[in-house]
Amino acid sequence: MSKKANEDMKNENTVQAIIIADTFGDEFIPISNNVPHALLPMINKPLIDYTLEFLSLGGIEEAFLFCCTHVDAIKHHIRKSILNNEVWTLTMKVHIIVSESCRSLGDCLRDIDAKGLLRGSFVLLEPGTISNIQLLPLIKKHNELMKVDKGTAMTVIFQEAGVNHISRCPQEELLVAINSQNRILSYKKMWKNKERKLDFPLEIFLENPCVSLMHNLKDTHIAICSPSVLPLFSDNFDFQTKDDFVRGLIMNEEILGSTVYCDILKGSRYGGAVTSWRMYQALSKELRQNWMYPIVLSRKKNKVLKNNVVVGEGTSIDDTAHLCNSVLGENTFIGKNVRIEDSFIFSNCKIEDNVIITHSVIGSNCVVKSKSKVTAGTILGSGCVIERGLFVENSLVQMEEPEDYEEADKLGNKAYRLRTDDDMDEDHSVKALVKKMSRLHIQEENYESEEGTDGFSDSDEDELSYTQSPVPDDTKLFFTEVIDSLTRGFEDNLLCDNLILEINSSRYAYNVTVKEVNFNVIKAILTLSLRQPIGPQYFSHLSRLLSYFAPILKNYIRNESAMIDCLQAIEDVATSNEELKEKWVMFVLQYFYNKDYVSEDAILDWFATIDQKTKFHKQVKPFTDWLQEAEEASSSDGGEDD
Amino acid sequence: MTFQVEFQAVVFAAGKGSRMSEITAGKPKCLLPIGSKPLVWYPLHKLQTAGFSDVILIVLENQKTEIQSALERSDLDLKIDYVAINDNEDLGTADSLRLIYDKIRSDVLVVSCDFISDVSLKGVLDKFRAHNASVASLFLHPQRSENVVVPGPKAKHKTERDLIGIDEQTNRLVFLASASDFETELSLPTNLLKKHTHVKIYSNLVDSHVYVLKNWVVKFLKEESSFMSIKGELLPHIVKKQLSKPPKQMDTKESIVNVHDSGDIFAFAKEDELNLAIRGMSAYNDHIGDLKGAYHNDSIRCYAYIAPKDTFGVRINTLPAYWSVNAKIVDVWERVTHGKELVLKSPNAVILSNQVDNRSIIWDGTKLNEKTSFKNCIVGSNTEVSSFSRIFNSVVMNNVTIKEKVAIENCIVCEGVTIEKGCQLKGCLVGSHHLIPEGSEYSSEVLTDSDRLMEF
Repeated sequence: MSKKANEDMKNENTVQAIIIADTFGDEFIPISNNVPHALLPMINKPLIDYTLEFLSLGGIEEAFLFCCTHVDAIKHHIRKSILNNEVWTLTMKVHIIVSESCRSLGDCLRDIDAKGLLRGSFVLLEPGTISNIQLLPLIKKHNELMKVDKGTAMTVIFQEAGVNHISRCPQEELLVAINSQNRILSYKKMWKNKERKLDFPLEIFLENPCVSLMHNLKDTHIAICSPSVLPLFSDNFDFQTKDDFVRGLIMNEEILGSTVYCDILKGSRYGGAVTSWRMYQALSKELRQNWMYPIVLSRKKNKVLKNNVVVGEGTSIDDTAHLCNSVLGENTFIGKNVRIEDSFIFSNCKIEDNVIITHSVIGSNCVVKSKSKVTAGTILGSGCVIERGLFVENSLVQMEEPEDYEEADKLGNKAYRLRTDDDMDEDHSVKALVKKMSRLHIQEENYESEEGTDGFSDSDEDELSYTQSPVPDDTKLFFTEVIDSLTRGFEDNLLCDNLILEINSSRYAYNVTVKEVNFNVIKAILTLSLRQPIGPQYFSHLSRLLSYFAPILKNYIRNESAMIDCLQAIEDVATSNEELKEKWVMFVLQYFYNKDYVSEDAILDWFATIDQKTKFHKQVKPFTDWLQEAEEASSSDGGEDD
Repeated sequence: MTFQVEFQAVVFAAGKGSRMSEITAGKPKCLLPIGSKPLVWYPLHKLQTAGFSDVILIVLENQKTEIQSALERSDLDLKIDYVAINDNEDLGTADSLRLIYDKIRSDVLVVSCDFISDVSLKGVLDKFRAHNASVASLFLHPQRSENVVVPGPKAKHKTERDLIGIDEQTNRLVFLASASDFETELSLPTNLLKKHTHVKIYSNLVDSHVYVLKNWVVKFLKEESSFMSIKGELLPHIVKKQLSKPPKQMDTKESIVNVHDSGDIFAFAKEDELNLAIRGMSAYNDHIGDLKGAYHNDSIRCYAYIAPKDTFGVRINTLPAYWSVNAKIVDVWERVTHGKELVLKSPNAVILSNQVDNRSIIWDGTKLNEKTSFKNCIVGSNTEVSSFSRIFNSVVMNNVTIKEKVAIENCIVCEGVTIEKGCQLKGCLVGSHHLIPEGSEYSSEVLTDSDRLMEF
């Protein structure tokens, strides 16, 4: 008898949590086609494992995992974890709730409300949350707040994070106004707001002696909820997300009679959620650097190499491969001379020789064949095959044929480029740029600092500098921008003068030097030609391209030093593309020489700076030999005249 | 050669007291009696205890002699440089400061004559020194509000509220405006919130009108002739300019000259090369959370110093403030004057009454006849109170004649008033040089010659 009563008591006080497993968005396409967000591997362990570990360490005894897609995979995974006696299974029960009709977090909570599963205050986690905080003190604090302020609905947990901190998501830039009791008075997302001024209702300042306006916070996506939260969601069908909820409550405070508080984590208390690839990268990095201690990466399964590289079990890496800031999955094969930087390679992949992968995610079971290059925020879905020598940048690639694809998007039999919505409307170039940036770009050195312009006077720099996500490298960006301009120009037959204007404006936007402009423009034109496979038609294509862009070449190669820049660009292209043979070098140099873009002296000067041992030196030598012969001939001619 | 002082103190005593005209008609605001001293004595004494030996006191032309003679009689050991300004022109604080431009050689500490507090000036001066600030300003937490019945008819006293934005981390003063400038919404520049990621906006702080100004601010003010008041125009302007970047340096020499002529604030706010070089090499930074240099590389820096919570501090610029400070001056005297002895009964007063309680203050030259009674009141100098009169909870200023059998309770009686026999006044305000006829009874009224009020 007493035992049963005891159990009831215990039930009464169990601390409960709700985990929403789906993002309901398309942030992780194409990876999310096959893998649910919860099972997204984060340093060779599914995300949900970190979340569950955090919850059990944080004091939760009963968790509801709400799934809408890939339910079987998640069920299977949880069952397997229980069989394997994962640590969290000792103190926490996990129930899986399935409802495939839900389309948002709001729907999920309405569903849970209907089921009546929760008893007291509970913890709400948005998908992909990892943290190391103790939840019980926070719940206790929340319950005490409820005693003082009957309307307390939610305590949102924020973490202190400076501007440009890597784990601050640019889409989630927040501005929160709180009073001295930590009640949220205003909650603004800075992301879509490009206004130079932010408006706050005057009364919040007059009613509270001291209001803190905080922009040094990031949302941890953890919230402590009162039981009233679920009915509030049920009553307000327009609440889709937690943000809707918080904003709605603040706006209709008098009608709904509910208030929202916040708690701010400082010091080593950490919280964050994988909401986008950018956050995925940030959290992996922080996990690797033990910011989430005691949640750390498993040292049994992973090997940590130098240059911030983590490698899963059964992966083989060739000695000549160069890796840095990357995570490699299990049973993956890395070939000779492969270069992988700032990237994530999932399990069972095969990366063949001479492949370059930077700032990209390679899904599981992919094959990247030799000499291809995957770069600038490319995401390969599971099972893709990138053919030999292919160049892929800033694309989402999936294995299956999409429903309506254009021929240009077919990269191979098992690789199709996906068009994202914002590729369509080029008008929102800023948006597109940020989307591009937000995918996978974190480089520690290159935080673009936003120049504080005078908020009280007008200046149009502000619009541009709004995109304050860390920009990788201005020059690189400039280069991609130029490539884009030229491709479009060539395809749509645009006037070269207009293209020059476009290039110049990008030049100012990215603040690159004249030298870099010359170098990158030439390099861009040559790189463009390489999209055509090297074959019999290649050279006619190249000369067509070069003659089309003649006005541009003429515009940028103006003097001696520009000629050197031009030649260096040729060198750069030739050395970074292995398949380019002597013939290519000869052809290009001959072309530039004949058209008078570069002078003989410039070529000879430049040739003298090339390292004699390199292959490239050998490739150029015949041409310079020919030049010198010709010169001797002409000078001897001159001699005869005398 | 005299060595240059670190700060020059300027006290503004040229205010007309327009917010309490009932009692300032006919008397300089700065000479209103507070306890045993005139109002202006308190800030001057504070400066003296802070170590100042010279003070520039700005007064109105027609009040100069009166103020001078009042202060010469007091026990201050300060060299006071009286600067009289024309009382016909309506000159603001910034105008006054511009007038004494020639006298300013160092950084300036500006104090208003109506500031009574126990706060040490060291706090705000140190804040100014530590950051080589452009402006530092002293704020006070509001005093606990007491319900006092102010003499005169019942009126609602509106308080003016400032909105003061202070960076939580660095104490930079980043926003300053009056709440009445906004209707329903307060708009703040996005840049400000991105630069200062945690700003606290206070709506209940009291601006003490104690400002420390860098020397260049006065030079800038000299050029910028449109500013009238320090609080209303100069400070908000400088605070705003913290967010601006200095204009790009031109290459040619000619344009540098132009920049100087144009009166651009950044031409004045130059930091010296050595300071910049030292900061460049130092690892010091005033803030964390972004990768900006110390002070965000701003050459204009405004700071706020908020006095500790339990500080006493008031500005005597309204009738309720005047009334309530007189009610408790005996209690706070020691804190406000840093331990100076309070002389309740001037030795030069003739006190024949034996019913004067120890919360009453009697000034010199006053004669209190036998069989009079005084409780919790202040009686100014050269006043005579005849027998069988009683004065409770009141302020009676100088040269007042109170005849027999007069009862005064909760009143303010201004200069030169004569109250005839048998009057009974409760909660009244008696304007200066007024004559109350025999046997009158008034309660909660303002008694004044209306034409006299018009004069001022």
